[in-house]
Amino acid sequence: MLKVCHLYPDLLNLYGDRGNVMAYVRRCQWRGIEVEVHRINLGDPVDFREMDFLFLGGGSDREQNLMAKDLENRRELLHAAAEEGLVVLAICGGYQLLGKYYRTLEGHVIPGLGLLDFYTEAGRKRMIGNVVVELEIDGERVRVTGFENHAGRTFLGQISPLGRVLVGYGNNGEDGTEGARYKNVFCSYLHGPLLPKNPRLTDHLISLALRRRGLPAELAPLDDRLERAATEIMLKRLLK
Amino acid sequence: MAFHLRLILAILVAKVIMWLVRLLGRGKGSSLPGMVALKICPGILGCLARQARRGVVMVTGTNGKTTTNNMIARVVREAGYRVVVNTEGANLITGVTTAFLKAASLLGQVDCDYALLEVDEASFPRVTRQVHPSIVVITNFFRDQLDRYGELDKTISLIREALVQLPGTRLVLNADDPLVAPLAASTGKEAFYYGLGEHRQVTSLSAAAREGRFCPHCGRELFYAYYHYSQLGNYRCPGCGFSRPFADVEGTEVSQGDHRVSVRLRSPAGYYELVIPVPGLYNLYNGLAAFSAGLSLGVEPEVIIRALAGYTPATGRMERFRYRDKPVLLNLVKNPTGFNEGLGALLSLPGPVDVLIAINDNDADGRDISWLWDVDFEVLEEHHHRLNSLVCTGQRGAEMAVRLKYAGVPLDRIVVENMHRAVEHVLNGSGTTAYLLATYTALWPLERILSGYAKRESRVESLPSVS
Repeated sequence: MLKVCHLYPDLLNLYGDRGNVMAYVRRCQWRGIEVEVHRINLGDPVDFREMDFLFLGGGSDREQNLMAKDLENRRELLHAAAEEGLVVLAICGGYQLLGKYYRTLEGHVIPGLGLLDFYTEAGRKRMIGNVVVELEIDGERVRVTGFENHAGRTFLGQISPLGRVLVGYGNNGEDGTEGARYKNVFCSYLHGPLLPKNPRLTDHLISLALRRRGLPAELAPLDDRLERAATEIMLKRLLK
Repeated sequence: MAFHLRLILAILVAKVIMWLVRLLGRGKGSSLPGMVALKICPGILGCLARQARRGVVMVTGTNGKTTTNNMIARVVREAGYRVVVNTEGANLITGVTTAFLKAASLLGQVDCDYALLEVDEASFPRVTRQVHPSIVVITNFFRDQLDRYGELDKTISLIREALVQLPGTRLVLNADDPLVAPLAASTGKEAFYYGLGEHRQVTSLSAAAREGRFCPHCGRELFYAYYHYSQLGNYRCPGCGFSRPFADVEGTEVSQGDHRVSVRLRSPAGYYELVIPVPGLYNLYNGLAAFSAGLSLGVEPEVIIRALAGYTPATGRMERFRYRDKPVLLNLVKNPTGFNEGLGALLSLPGPVDVLIAINDNDADGRDISWLWDVDFEVLEEHHHRLNSLVCTGQRGAEMAVRLKYAGVPLDRIVVENMHRAVEHVLNGSGTTAYLLATYTALWPLERILSGYAKRESRVESLPSVS
């Protein structure tokens, strides 16, 4: 049994972020792996170390402010769980929150949780469009497609990116990196349906969770023809 | 160059473009003439619009602009007035300008009583800098094409700021939308509210697409006595006391059928039975908005009721075709709320259904199709035995197919095809009805292909801009 924690599903659900939780759950279920989804809202008690997969999405500014305080109260628990190997996927606004700070255009510094070594600065121009990123999963190069829409530019410190941008802006539009990876924490600006469109990554996140529990992490293959077709169409269009 | 010379030149050039567009049979020419005319004479829109003798009505908001505006046009015509209307979809400043240019004489004279303008939310401030509406109708605010508009709050605040600049404008507002209703207080404008009361069918397909569940004033979660769909309903903030205003026009006792929706109306003018010959609660809201706008313009309630009973939908708004003996329905989808309503309509159809979903990602559709994951396709899982086939097409048809797979639709029902084959597939499916849903730019090619096979049943009201 895997426990999936969808953090602030009512607050952070811009751009179809919930698709990531759906994909994780379905791909477990299709293989007969039992899953339980915990929807955790403001103030709900949760012990992150008991969870197997934590999802944190993006929200509009108003909603992000509402939950930033709540998340701050959970900082220690989250920090301990992440250090100990909790599998986390954080997208867009959720991603930015895990870093050291966000500096607004006016120079105002909003502190982040400081779990990961990166910071974000607001930019004047929003970085919007389709993206192709190359990731490495278990030594294999995987091309992932998605859509980004963010004003923040993120700069990584002593931490690896999630992947290399082939098309699009990525973390900051300058250094060719996209997202961040620390232990089993995965961060990305590719919002919305990142996992359903990229089953290889989803399965990797499932395997990591199983391994952390000492369960067999070998996953039975699924029929992924539709996902592959969707990705191929976008790769063909974007990698001209 | 003197203003009137520029004006005449602009009109002349625009008329030539309109004539050429028609001659070459290229599109409908619904924005190019306006674009060119505005370049030649930037003040032309204001100059032409001021000639509407009894004033200008504008409709803005996320969903229902076209339908509401067309309904108001019908009401005002029924009352015997001459009108200028911007044709469907052409709701940016260029399209609005083109509507007036079509109506204008070569000397720049426009002979009409009312101008009825559907205006895109993002274009609203630009249009109102030139055209001063006497009435602004605001339908609702939903998540729509965020990659183009940025965040919803920003859109709303731009509209609010534009309204503040308009002296004497009255508002017709949806009382049930907590994002729309506060615009009266925050702009200091006189408002007339419409809404839907509690009724037996009060239910919702989902809470997932609700956008305004938090108080726009203090941020607390709103408490709902009931809600109709998305964030529309009877809300109250436990924090600051903000709540749904009293609805001047309120519908109760909703009854819905395949081809119609009706409601009992309470209004300052008395009680009426309102019948609209298109299905769906969202169309009822459009009807309530049109009724309220009609009352605000002083049209007799009986005349409004009669006009709305004869309403015919515009292209892609539940348009009806027939292929051999099979009914075929074509519906436009633009955002999660509209799509959820479309799915609700699909599930209300009797018997097995063949479904086609066409998804494009051009600018007009929104380049980001992530919103498909906010649509509750999960409702299809338990009804999949009634879904004969789900054919996905359009530029992002394959991704639509992925969405259906993760919604729990069995893989053997999902087909990905090019548009031509997709249409053939659903028409020849063994279901008793074919139901087609398409995003904006997929709608026109789909309609063309469909027209080659199936007979149109609903007479489409392709509104000429002047009558």
